[in-house]
Amino acid sequence: MIEKGKISALQMGILMYHAILATGILFIPASVYDAAKQDIWLSPIWASPVGFLCIFIAYKLNKLYPEDTIIQYSQRILGTFLGKTLGLILLLMLVTSLSVMFWQYGEFVVSEFLPHTPKFVIIGMMILLCASAVHGGLEVVGRLAGMVFPIFFLLFLVIIVLLLPDIEIKRMLPIMENGMMPSLKGSLVLYTWFAQFGIVYFFLPFLTNREKAMKFGMLSVLVVMLTLVLTNIVVIWIFGNVTENFNAPFMSASRYISIAEFLSHLESLVMAIWIAGTFIKLCAFYYTVVLGTAEWLNLSDYRPLVLPLGLVIGVFSLKAFLNSSEAAEHFEIVSKGFMDTLVYGLAIPMLLLLAAYIRKLIVRHKGESEK
Amino acid sequence: MRVFYRKRVKLKKNNRDQHNDAQHLKPLYSDLEQNLEMLHMLYDDCSDVVFRSFLIAGKTKAQLIYIKGMANIEEMDSNVLTPLMNNAEYSAINAKSLIEQKLSVAEVTKLESFNACIEQLSIGNPILLLENEQQGYALGLAKWEKRSIEEPTGELVVRGPREGFTETVEVNTSLLRRKIRSPQLKMKSLKLGRYTQTTIILAYIEDLANETLLEEMTQRLSRIDIDGILESGYIEELIQDHSYSPFPQVLITERPDTAVSSLLEGRVVLIIDGTPFALIAPTTFFALFQSAEDHYHNFMISTATRWLRYLFCLISLLLPSLYVAIITYHQEMVPTTLLLTMIDSREVVPFPALIEALLMEITFEGLREAGLRLPKQVGAAVSIVGALVIGQAAVDAGLVSDHMVMVVAITGIASFTVPRYNLAIPIRMLRFPIMLLAGTFGLVGIMTGLLAIMTHLSTLRSFGVPYLTPIAPMKGKDMKDTLIRAPLWKLNTRPHFTGDYNEYRQAADQKPDFDKGGEE
Repeated sequence: MIEKGKISALQMGILMYHAILATGILFIPASVYDAAKQDIWLSPIWASPVGFLCIFIAYKLNKLYPEDTIIQYSQRILGTFLGKTLGLILLLMLVTSLSVMFWQYGEFVVSEFLPHTPKFVIIGMMILLCASAVHGGLEVVGRLAGMVFPIFFLLFLVIIVLLLPDIEIKRMLPIMENGMMPSLKGSLVLYTWFAQFGIVYFFLPFLTNREKAMKFGMLSVLVVMLTLVLTNIVVIWIFGNVTENFNAPFMSASRYISIAEFLSHLESLVMAIWIAGTFIKLCAFYYTVVLGTAEWLNLSDYRPLVLPLGLVIGVFSLKAFLNSSEAAEHFEIVSKGFMDTLVYGLAIPMLLLLAAYIRKLIVRHKGESEK
Repeated sequence: MRVFYRKRVKLKKNNRDQHNDAQHLKPLYSDLEQNLEMLHMLYDDCSDVVFRSFLIAGKTKAQLIYIKGMANIEEMDSNVLTPLMNNAEYSAINAKSLIEQKLSVAEVTKLESFNACIEQLSIGNPILLLENEQQGYALGLAKWEKRSIEEPTGELVVRGPREGFTETVEVNTSLLRRKIRSPQLKMKSLKLGRYTQTTIILAYIEDLANETLLEEMTQRLSRIDIDGILESGYIEELIQDHSYSPFPQVLITERPDTAVSSLLEGRVVLIIDGTPFALIAPTTFFALFQSAEDHYHNFMISTATRWLRYLFCLISLLLPSLYVAIITYHQEMVPTTLLLTMIDSREVVPFPALIEALLMEITFEGLREAGLRLPKQVGAAVSIVGALVIGQAAVDAGLVSDHMVMVVAITGIASFTVPRYNLAIPIRMLRFPIMLLAGTFGLVGIMTGLLAIMTHLSTLRSFGVPYLTPIAPMKGKDMKDTLIRAPLWKLNTRPHFTGDYNEYRQAADQKPDFDKGGEE
């Protein structure tokens, strides 16, 4: 195995939590509101099965090939040529995804907080930071996730408590005004987020306690779902039908905190902590790209790839979109049309699992006929 | 990196070959004259070595050799020279039995080579050579000036033992032995340094210290081949896991009680001759925040002080940066009334906040360094000048704002709450890059800097133990003596280091309680 370090199942769960939520917590409420209106808080519940399914499939595949990541077992299941092709497609999608994430990070920081700073500086700084963590290996990424999580989660809860004076429960009523459909439609957008749980197939071979992988994976999905439900409820309680006017409603909500004339304008603090969460998310995806590429090329070490791939991703993320309206178009497509995360997170592993079972059947059939 | 190591090993071998061709490895001759000639040649131009020839019982030629100032001359006179020279009646018997019967010295070692002679001489023992004997005798009469046991100045405590290690290795080992009476306290001795031949004691408790840790430590020590070891810092730098890190990966202590508590946790202690600073490995980041007296005070108070230290460590790292970031980028976070006074006092200051902060912080660091080195007599002058520079005069001159003075003062105080000097220094130094980041990117920059430090800390290991244990990777059991200082009756398990270990340190359930009896 290329990766020598190991993480615990709990660390994996926390890593996945960040990988989904760090950016999700900002952008999900507004994007779901479009379809679900005041029922946005129900949508995460409907979408969470996708997450559970992703974890389940990755876990099953890992049981069949416990020492391999998807890049390796796809070759064992489909043969070298098909497997490599599938691996390449997967990696390209991951690189695209990651580049878009970096772009999102850069765009958000520049537009909200540092309007005069060139975007390549912000993105470049983050890529260097992530590269140093990825260079340390999965162990380091896992440890960082474990350290950031309590701060991230605590801040989330504190913000909600501080927002309590401003809420108006009336705004979420009537619940299910038009039946289940709006919230179900809203959950479609969330599939792309929950499907990102699929990348867990890169971490499962490196667990110290693999028997608990399922438990903590599922727990991670559950906590993500609950966090999203809570976020969406709070957002709808505060903004009601103006939610869609905000790019990142939860962040904007933190601007309204004002306790005792002293605790006010916490959005900078919120953003600082959010950066820590996003850093973990980016590290997780960056790591999968680097590890996957190294395995795809049959290298003995992935570390030499960290910086070159960082450069590629940096260029991609800077040239990803000309402007934010083009980006919006892109997000429209990936969230409603071609859902790329659903493809690499769910469809490809599902295909592989099916193929693996069929293969097993054939092998068994052959064995019987030979007898 | 690996290639580099291989090269170094080759280099080492070459040097060692050259070094060992000396002739002093030869065994002693049976002829006294020949032996003396050899020793005279070895100690040519060494005015501190004394050769005293005399006749045993007026007949047998003998030679007493010692180094001035390192041997106890009175005892040599009364216990060696007097009985040997005044024994006319034993004229016929051989010298060996004479020594057995007449020499009233507790420790006598037989010497068979020149090498052994040199070793004994250099630790202060006089050696006795006799005619027609192929062996010499080293007499345990070494005595040299040494500092008495004093209170360690680097690690002061309010409550706790006041004795500290000294420069003498024997005194230091005795301090450990006096606290751990069990024979399971092992002390392996080895000599390092081509010229200094410094004694290094590797102390550990059998069954508590991990075997692989011991092996690793011995192996790393055996790799060392330098000309001299003057302080434990030499060893530290040559055995640590990551060379390119400002953070200490080995714990340093002057206190025997700290060393003993580390031994009881299964760590290894290195005592180096010539320095009162012992090394303890492995260590973790959070162990550096512990003071010896944490376990001597009430656990609630210790927990509170520990949190105070964590808080002030963060302040010493971040406060100036936060000030710069908020003043430059996030003014809305400051309450309006405070903002007004801030603007008021900054009005006359010609610099941006970043320059102002850098100016003051660098001055403060300069003052701190000056205060450290200055002779005691002029120390007072520095504090007066310092008070003026970082104080009202600087504000009146319109160079800095009032608030900046406060920030710098608080930061300065905060950095001294970290109980270990070698941890306080990197934290103080890392403040400057973070200040630059804060000045250019605001809170985003601070967060980036903080994450970079966290990443660096997560990659560190100290003898295989992740540096941030038990926080990352999380070890719930070990947090009882990290995040809090749990009551003593709760600290049942030792901290978990690599591999298997002796888990329980005490009997369970020792909480004092009325129900447990005592009064029937």
